[in-house]
Amino acid sequence: MFEIGGKMLKSRLFVGTGKLPDYSLIERMYYEAGIEVFAVAVRRIGPNTKHTKNVLEYIPKDATIMVNTSGAQDHKEAVKIAMIGRELTNSDWVKVEIEKDTKYLFPDSFETLKACEILVKEGFKVFPYIYPDLNLAKELEQIGVEAVMPLGSPIGTNKGIGCEVLLKPIINEVKIPVIIDAGIGRPSHAAQAMEMGADAVLINTAIATSADPLKMAIAFAKAVEAGRLAFEVGILKEYEYAQASSPLEDFISG
Amino acid sequence: MLIRVNDKEMEFCGNILDLVLSLNLNPKTCAVLVNGEIVKKNDWESFVLKDGDYVEIVSFVGGG
Repeated sequence: MFEIGGKMLKSRLFVGTGKLPDYSLIERMYYEAGIEVFAVAVRRIGPNTKHTKNVLEYIPKDATIMVNTSGAQDHKEAVKIAMIGRELTNSDWVKVEIEKDTKYLFPDSFETLKACEILVKEGFKVFPYIYPDLNLAKELEQIGVEAVMPLGSPIGTNKGIGCEVLLKPIINEVKIPVIIDAGIGRPSHAAQAMEMGADAVLINTAIATSADPLKMAIAFAKAVEAGRLAFEVGILKEYEYAQASSPLEDFISG
Repeated sequence: MLIRVNDKEMEFCGNILDLVLSLNLNPKTCAVLVNGEIVKKNDWESFVLKDGDYVEIVSFVGGG
């Protein structure tokens, strides 16, 4: 069990629900892969929209909903989405994601900081999606966010931990939880993030767009658990030359 | 009376609750913004839409 956002959770794997072929998979992930936190987005629904199904109807009532402000271009839009989210879900967990650029989907640090300041004051549990920027992470910690969510690599790229040298200082220096979000494409990437000392990971594309999202969610859940156990034990240092495992004396002489 | 709903113009007379129900949407899982401002659910029945109002109906979809 670990504590985050005022809750005690068992699973350190958070899952985004975008691009899922079928929302009924959410319930199976909850029961069969032990996923407790699901991210959702706010979009127009009804006449002239692509979206007709409401994802909330598919999320088990004991699961935690993390409202993502994706689609917001600035802090004002993000705050509005968070307010809508709280009204509809009663969940005060909000992932602040603000992007102006749609090619790389890099988060806008200035707008993110402004939105977080407002949302913390409004009583939200705030989880900002950020660049792996230690100064920004520290600033956000000061403001009172629940955790920071630095990217591993750009959203949906499956490239994995592309910037370990930038992520490690954040994990080492901030006291709030660090959730590696975005770009993680394989269970081994997730295990690597956990071995580094991340508190959790958020995966969407790598699970949702796989041939079998439920099976892949289970694979990620196991990898996250394995990586965490290894971190808790302590990863051993690397050596330049071989270190014999068997004793190097009392050989048979033939 | 003409209003705009999610960028589509439509003829409509009534309050917000009437509009949501007429579009076969579940009032419990939708939020409504009129001219960019959120209207609290408790006010849906008393909020009568006016000519030219811009209504956005939003809900939750899969997202990361």
